[in-house]
Amino acid sequence: MAYSEVQIEELKGYCKKVGALTELGIDLLYLEALRLPAGCTPEVCDALLCPVAKDGYSSRLYFSQQINGRFARNWNGTVRIGEKNWYAFSWKVELSAPTLAQILLAHLNGFAKEK
Amino acid sequence: MNDQLAEVEIDVFELAQRGEEVPHAKKYRVRIDCETVTVDTPEPKGAALLTKVGKRPCAFELIAEFTHCENRVIEPGETVDLRQRGLKGFLTAHKEIVTIFIGGPENPFQIERGEHTVAQVLAKVDKTTDGYVLLEEKDGHPPLPVPPNMPVKICGCEMFYTQPQSGGSS
Repeated sequence: MAYSEVQIEELKGYCKKVGALTELGIDLLYLEALRLPAGCTPEVCDALLCPVAKDGYSSRLYFSQQINGRFARNWNGTVRIGEKNWYAFSWKVELSAPTLAQILLAHLNGFAKEK
Repeated sequence: MNDQLAEVEIDVFELAQRGEEVPHAKKYRVRIDCETVTVDTPEPKGAALLTKVGKRPCAFELIAEFTHCENRVIEPGETVDLRQRGLKGFLTAHKEIVTIFIGGPENPFQIERGEHTVAQVLAKVDKTTDGYVLLEEKDGHPPLPVPPNMPVKICGCEMFYTQPQSGGSS
């Protein structure tokens, strides 16, 4: 599945570089040096955005490491993609026809919401 | 004589110190805090002078210094006559009540400088943390969410956005 150039460009504002990675037939977006919300440690890390349904979630955001934020998160997803381990916390995003950046932001909001 | 002077750059501070009139010129050297900047009009706006030293009216005020009278605050939209007698230069000072923007540069809000809660910032636009996330745009990057349990440091000119809560832990 090809993502629109406009949407990819919008994603680039959040990280250093956007790449593509296909795993199990899903086109994932590799976000190099993604900036994380205030209060996160580290402040920047690599991430994989899965903008389509996977593992019972409408979308997922995987991080290259578990992130310490202002709220404790349930890190329930570990996958091995591209010979690396990636970690995701349990976070359901409900948006109708979101853009890639909106999906990303909705997942990053997970660091700014208690529940 | 005037034509000759029009070619030179005039140092406003030096002339004020000597008690001399500031002649017409193409450019004027003006002191703002410790910096000397060049202005190409004798009647710049306050905001334009602040910009010369990388500051904005949403966080700073501009104060004119004179040799013969008290300092005077110059409003951002006010025109300053650089040729007025006794004008030495300008100082800048951080405002106590600064301007922040919520939802774009066209939506300014006044707020006290210092630390605030996310709820206090959201309240400016009649929103609460129950239904909305506060996002802050920094360093030219797209806005990122601000956790509601984290203090928001306001220095002036901050750009915020709000977004309805769109997710939750499962």
